[in-house]
Amino acid sequence: MAKYIIRRLLWGIPVLFFVTLVVFILVRFLPGGPFDFAGEKQLPPSVVKNLEAKYHLNDPLWKQFVDYLWNVVRGDLGPSFRYRNRTVNDIIAEGLPVSAQLGMLAMLIAIGIGIPLGIIAALRQNTIVDYLATFFAIVGVSIPAIVMGPLLIWIFALKLQWFPVSRWGAQPPYFLGFLPKPDITFWRHAILPAFTLGTGLSASIARLTRASLLQVIREDYIRTARAKGLAERLVIFRHALKNSMIPVVTILGPMFAAVLTGTFVVEQIFAIPGLGKHFVTSIGNRDYPIILGTTLLYGVAIVIANLLVDIVYAWLDPRIRFD
Amino acid sequence: MLSKKWALLLAAVIVTSLILAACAPATPQVVEKVVKETVVVEKEKTVAVEKEVVVTPTPKPEEELITLNWNFGTEPPTLDPALAEDTTSVDVIESLFLGLTAFDPEGNVKGELATEWTTNEAGDVYTFKMRQDAKWVKYNPGTKQVEEIGPVTAHDVVYGIKRTLDPRTASGYAYVLYIIKGGEALNTADTEALSEEELQALIDGVGVKAVDDYTVEITLEHPAGYFPGIAGMWVARPMPKDAIEAHGERWIEPGFIVTNGPYMLAEWVHDSHLVLLKNPLYYDAANVQIEKIYGVMVVEASTAMAMYENNELDTTAPPLEDMDRIKADPVLSKELHIGPYPCTYYYGFTTDKPPVDNKLVRRALSAAIDRKSLIENVLKGGQLPANTFTTIGMFGSAAQDPDIAPWALDYTLGLQKAKEWMAEAGYPDGKGFPEIILMHNTSEGHKKIAEAIAAMWKEALGISVKIENQEWKVYLNTISKKTPVEQMPHVWRLGWCADYPDANNWLNEVFHPDKRNDIRWNNREFAEIVEKAEVSQDPAERKALYKRAEQILVDEEAAIAPIYYYTTVNLTKPWLQRNYFGLGGQDFFNWKIDWAAKKAALGK
Repeated sequence: MAKYIIRRLLWGIPVLFFVTLVVFILVRFLPGGPFDFAGEKQLPPSVVKNLEAKYHLNDPLWKQFVDYLWNVVRGDLGPSFRYRNRTVNDIIAEGLPVSAQLGMLAMLIAIGIGIPLGIIAALRQNTIVDYLATFFAIVGVSIPAIVMGPLLIWIFALKLQWFPVSRWGAQPPYFLGFLPKPDITFWRHAILPAFTLGTGLSASIARLTRASLLQVIREDYIRTARAKGLAERLVIFRHALKNSMIPVVTILGPMFAAVLTGTFVVEQIFAIPGLGKHFVTSIGNRDYPIILGTTLLYGVAIVIANLLVDIVYAWLDPRIRFD
Repeated sequence: MLSKKWALLLAAVIVTSLILAACAPATPQVVEKVVKETVVVEKEKTVAVEKEVVVTPTPKPEEELITLNWNFGTEPPTLDPALAEDTTSVDVIESLFLGLTAFDPEGNVKGELATEWTTNEAGDVYTFKMRQDAKWVKYNPGTKQVEEIGPVTAHDVVYGIKRTLDPRTASGYAYVLYIIKGGEALNTADTEALSEEELQALIDGVGVKAVDDYTVEITLEHPAGYFPGIAGMWVARPMPKDAIEAHGERWIEPGFIVTNGPYMLAEWVHDSHLVLLKNPLYYDAANVQIEKIYGVMVVEASTAMAMYENNELDTTAPPLEDMDRIKADPVLSKELHIGPYPCTYYYGFTTDKPPVDNKLVRRALSAAIDRKSLIENVLKGGQLPANTFTTIGMFGSAAQDPDIAPWALDYTLGLQKAKEWMAEAGYPDGKGFPEIILMHNTSEGHKKIAEAIAAMWKEALGISVKIENQEWKVYLNTISKKTPVEQMPHVWRLGWCADYPDANNWLNEVFHPDKRNDIRWNNREFAEIVEKAEVSQDPAERKALYKRAEQILVDEEAAIAPIYYYTTVNLTKPWLQRNYFGLGGQDFFNWKIDWAAKKAALGK
């Protein structure tokens, strides 16, 4: 097992190397550079030259790449071009905990709603319960966060005054580097965005759980379990459910990685200081180090998430072995 | 089954840590403060020099401070005066750092650190006398105490200007100081090719010197009547040498930053909020009423609007979609304020690309834009139709002067003229006119404007227009003069905003044929006029020259079609009394809050 994990992690290194290489080359092909313009004002070439010299953009491209890799190995993701006094390390260190807090809550909501809903729908197939659950799932998938967020703000913040309109209720320093102080301020601010993000995700989890469970209960071993007189509850929870979770876990891994590293729309609507906006705005700003840094971070998150998924497979299905 | 247990354990650890965090009793506030304090003190140890410290404790608890709830709209990219390029950074810098001069709420230049200034006969040497009661201060967020560092002197001004111009600082806005003698030579120097002594010689060669502790003398490359406006710009402000050298790039963080303005930086949670506190040692502190500014960074305008309606913001710029609702609402309509903002929105023509290489065609296109109708039906923000490039309020602006393109202000006349000119150019009713490309950068607002104008052109002139859009940086690259003419759109949009309120910043810097010149023209008459106006010492002559330059640019040659002058549209709660003028940053120190009324509205 340990050997397997180490091998998988080592395999992650070439993957991340190629991701970095490809993104490094792609961003340089985008027309326009980071310093051509300040707002709508074109900066004179002399000033642009100074800026490029400061950030070593006048070096040959291969040298820039080698320097970048060397710095990354030493844990330095470089300076931001847009936020002149901050480094990419600073930006990730400040944004990631907030995104992770939101992401974890959203995933808890997504799983907490999605899986039970899927199970109930599957067990009561073609009844009113199933139709309601399916209806909820379709609504959840179809209403994007950009509609759901403002709607929740309007109802629960403006009209009912239960929650603040926006912003995040926790500030550094965080417990263990990422866990917020769970006071009332935190929860009041967290509920609406976590719900917005979580319900959208729960819908697809519910659909998948339902489909997968329906398939599993038709398997021979379930029939065997029933034939030997096992209580229906035990049949479902001990035998069917575990196996039906395999496709669900497969999507949960990358979903977790994506949500934890930041979601642009929800963070934008609720003015949450997470990492999500940097994934998007860095491209418009041609802020190469942030583009590379966030991509690399996401790559790491995906590699780890997929590894965890594979480990969970072995627990869910005893036929899967790693050695 | 080792693996099974291992996975279970992992899951258990994750879940438990979540639950633990959720159940942990709320830590008392004090603990957090102590932590912060230690951090600051620890970092402070790197400063070797011990200084005499004057400590002034904050008199009131923070909840009692008269507080402005403001939205910066985005994270300020920097608070370093030498590096700032954007309005958000400048808004904060305006509260933290004083300039030799400043703009009053009407946009006139007045003294700030400078009590008076004189020029020599030739008009190229300025001498500024400085006030002696301005002080550098440092706010310690851990102890909440204010430390006096020392007086603001002429040496700090010299340091600030030279720091901006030093190529190693890599300031994007350094070029506005090229007017100072030796500024361009220093800023364009190749630092790698030069020895330390040669570089030092260039630094010493910059025409700024401290005559005594409170007198600065600045020598210019050529006479410039608009220089007092530049002398107060953020890149020319005094900067705290010791703090910058002690903390490097991080000197602008709370606890490190040393400032001299009406406010001090107390807290900065990146991408979330920034807190400014009134500086008790500011020389005019008696007249600063707002004691605390809690500035959030909410990007989404509709979210900011909701916060405003919920009394979480005292003032906001409403989103365009809400304008009709606001105008119809009995309360919100009273809180709406529309004021001028020093920018112009215009369409540029690629003057070397047929058919818009024909000035009759360009004039016809410009005249066929119904600017009033565009403003009323599409923009809805009370903008003013533009007949010049230089906007209202700038020195030398001829805005609304009927001698320049009167057809831009009167659509009946415009329509008639446009048809005549099109016929004269050989395209009566648009016959034989090729399809032209109108390009804008990707944005809902620009798209609406482009569609409206294309429809106006089609109806008035019978021509067809293809609208294209590109992502911002790609777009700016496309419309630059480096692009081959075949790849250029015929017409494209841009805006321009004032750095300092003088027509030189507009006509000379943007359209001089040897400078930026996106319109690709080579009008030598225009070049001579703006060059002459730049150095002229006679205000009346300068005005006349700029008027003539506008006439060539907008009317006779119609190289651009100015469309409208920007406005700033804001909602302001009745308890806040604020200014709206948009040059040189927000002047929070002049604003007033009726604190009793605000507290009552918040139900406190």
